[in-house]
Amino acid sequence: MALDQETGTEIAPGEPLLVVDNVTKEFPGVVANDSVSVDIRRAEIHCLLGENGAGKTTLADILYGVYRPDSGTVRLAGRHLDLTSPRDAIDAGVGMVHQHFELVPPMSVIENVVIGTPARQWLDLSEARRRLEEFFSTYDVEIDPDAEVGRLSVGEQQWVEIFKTLYFGVEVLILDEPTAVLTPQGVEQLFRILRQMRDEGLTIILITHKLKEVMDLSDRVTVLRRGKVVGTVNTCDVDRVELARMMIGREVLLQVDKDRSEPGEAVLEVEGIHLESVTGRGSLDGLSLNVAGGEIVGVAGVSGNGQNALFDALVGVRHPHQGRIRLNGVDVTHWAPHKIAALGVASVPGDRIAQGLMMDFSVKDNLVLGNHRGWRFSRAGILDPKKISKFAEESIEGFEIKTPSASHVTRTLSGGNLQKIIMARELSGEPRLLVVHQPTRGLDIAASEYVRRRIVQERDRGAAVLLMSEDLDEIFQLSDRIAVIYNGRIVSVTDPEDATLEEIGMHMAGSSSHAEQSQ
Amino acid sequence: MNKPVAQTRLLEPGGWRFERRLNTRPIHELLATMLALGVTGLIIGGLVIIVGVSPTEAFGALYDGAFGSLDATLETLVQATPLILTGLAAAIAFRAGVWNIGGEGQFFAGAMGAWWMYDIAGGLPAPLLFVAMFVMGAIAGALWSSIASVLLVRYGTNEILTTVMLNFVILYILSWLLAGPWQSPKTPYYQTERMADKTFLPRFFDDSRLHWGFAIALVAAVVVYLLIRRTSLGYEIRGVGTNKQAASYKGINVGVTIISVMAISGGLAGIAGAGELLGLHHRLQLDIAVGIGFTGIIIALVARLHPAGVIVVAIGFGALLNGSTEIQSSTGIPAALVEVIEGAALFLVLLAAVACRYRLRRPVAHG
Repeated sequence: MALDQETGTEIAPGEPLLVVDNVTKEFPGVVANDSVSVDIRRAEIHCLLGENGAGKTTLADILYGVYRPDSGTVRLAGRHLDLTSPRDAIDAGVGMVHQHFELVPPMSVIENVVIGTPARQWLDLSEARRRLEEFFSTYDVEIDPDAEVGRLSVGEQQWVEIFKTLYFGVEVLILDEPTAVLTPQGVEQLFRILRQMRDEGLTIILITHKLKEVMDLSDRVTVLRRGKVVGTVNTCDVDRVELARMMIGREVLLQVDKDRSEPGEAVLEVEGIHLESVTGRGSLDGLSLNVAGGEIVGVAGVSGNGQNALFDALVGVRHPHQGRIRLNGVDVTHWAPHKIAALGVASVPGDRIAQGLMMDFSVKDNLVLGNHRGWRFSRAGILDPKKISKFAEESIEGFEIKTPSASHVTRTLSGGNLQKIIMARELSGEPRLLVVHQPTRGLDIAASEYVRRRIVQERDRGAAVLLMSEDLDEIFQLSDRIAVIYNGRIVSVTDPEDATLEEIGMHMAGSSSHAEQSQ
Repeated sequence: MNKPVAQTRLLEPGGWRFERRLNTRPIHELLATMLALGVTGLIIGGLVIIVGVSPTEAFGALYDGAFGSLDATLETLVQATPLILTGLAAAIAFRAGVWNIGGEGQFFAGAMGAWWMYDIAGGLPAPLLFVAMFVMGAIAGALWSSIASVLLVRYGTNEILTTVMLNFVILYILSWLLAGPWQSPKTPYYQTERMADKTFLPRFFDDSRLHWGFAIALVAAVVVYLLIRRTSLGYEIRGVGTNKQAASYKGINVGVTIISVMAISGGLAGIAGAGELLGLHHRLQLDIAVGIGFTGIIIALVARLHPAGVIVVAIGFGALLNGSTEIQSSTGIPAALVEVIEGAALFLVLLAAVACRYRLRRPVAHG
């Protein structure tokens, strides 16, 4: 029971449990949290909503002892919290599940759960197993306590993370973007169980930038913008438009305007390609897909089902050992990346920092990456600085890239501006095929809107667009056809007008129909 | 599930952390490097005091030996000539993230290639012979370094190991040649015959050993600078050194780039070897380079891989080498002190480089 430290009485559900008072945290060049004050009430689900860079995760990291505030205080049940590490936070009763799991893949579920047991304490595995099985049966989660964590699905791993935290008896659970890795069905299950836990007295803080989740799940929501609290409201008193306005400070179009597509001839034809697995980049198992000029084909899927492999095969970084890839009728299955690019294929990779940019290069040097040998910026292997500078200035203006100058080092730019550099570069050659992977991951609403509008413009210009995304809203918003990728294959192709979210979700989870699911 | 709120621990000192500095200005890097070299001077001064010599006397001798007269200054440039080239060789390879530690071996390969050319075409008119010998020196250096780069690209063999080992291999090959096919029949020593006087690389002044090789080294620095900054290949070299994955996704052939940059690097070291043969030694011996390739690595790192910096640092290191003789003869301090200075300078300059890119911050506790 949460007891008030001064009066010794229990804190009733609905009373303030965790009070953040005037917390400021500065990083070089940014004030991540600027005089933030929030009170989290006992047994509520409280969303921290904001765009990327709004300071949500920093605030959570302060509550979890990862950072210490520069000024301001945090009180838990009336007691001043002075955390120097996550261990302190867990001892005090605050646990957190990060976006990137902290699990040991070769160890079993049970071993992962008890791994944080302090060394001075006796390790009782049978007691741990009893409690774990009790957890699982209470919440109707089917996971084998002896299973190797590395073999579990991402959704199951998330449950292990959550139970690992609860095992140490925390009363405040912080979840950082927990739905990013889940199917719609997985999200539903998570939300159902979180509600149940709240009803049993657990206090839950959920970090998200998705308005739908806030509306579906939370009791109250605190909106952050540029490190400051815009306001804390009861979820039942607001709607999505209102929240969106609080988040970005102006009205937004939650819909990208686009006409019906006018598909032309097939530009990309992929026929049954197989690709062997490479660490972290997945495999393909007989994937077929066509994209015509003037249409956007969205590829929906839970991450890890072959999206990276498909991207690699289309760009030419890895070559299928079976099957064919044709571009405008030309067989490019085994072509090198620069030759494929020369045919008019542009690509926006899923991990823009690892695969799309040279972070230590200047902005203008990044804008010519891939075209540094072409006639546009060089003659006989000698670069033309004037042409490069001119193109850079045009791109910075045309794509609204916010940088101090064209020669500024890329590393210091924000995620949205990094993506704009890549978009400017890739669209400059008026590609016939545009392959984009996770184009708006990590971007704020304004930048996402911009990037999506540009993608639609490319389609309207007549380019074939292949859009791979784990954001279903994005897929539905932009696609003229929706393909679902599962286990290295396309398992369905549907018209978004006819498809429902549930149906796509079922396909993403590997069930070809409702009937199959009910068996 | 709930339990009483546990006691929070008392305030503990927070740990220090490294944080990347987002903006580093070139002027700061330059100042930090100067500061590091200043501290090197202080440390060496301290060492000299321990040995029982007055630092002013020691540094005075060092300076006199290096720059005390026009002759001394020119001799410093003579010492710097091969160092500029091996420094550039290391710098360009490091730019691509390829750790060529084989400058020493490639230097010898270059000298051997040049000698072979002299052996078969010594009768050519002088200017033509120079060109042929330099070209063959560059090719030999490039071929020698290519063994390592091909192994790296084809089989992923660590280039640090292969280049280091190839240094030994070339020396054994040279020993064998000098004890057999190439040995001068006129002497019992392991050395070749002396080149004909008219085939010596011309000198700038009658009474100084400074030869055309110095000009070639300066031109090489300009060429390397232009190559890195102004050509598509240079762009790819920087790209491969910055982010291999992004490079390959954007159509850069990483393997070809590595092989190209390694050939250029080996070629530069080979030119250094050819230059020393043509301009200074005029015969092949085992001791025509004592650590010139290795010193080039230190020079490249101290110069932060910048060609202009390589020239400056190489002249500085040439001055140390040249001054060390004087310091030994007038104060009795062993000339090996120079190696201590080189090591200390490298260590402190690298430290300064880290300090420029990162800072230590201690998370501040609130009041």
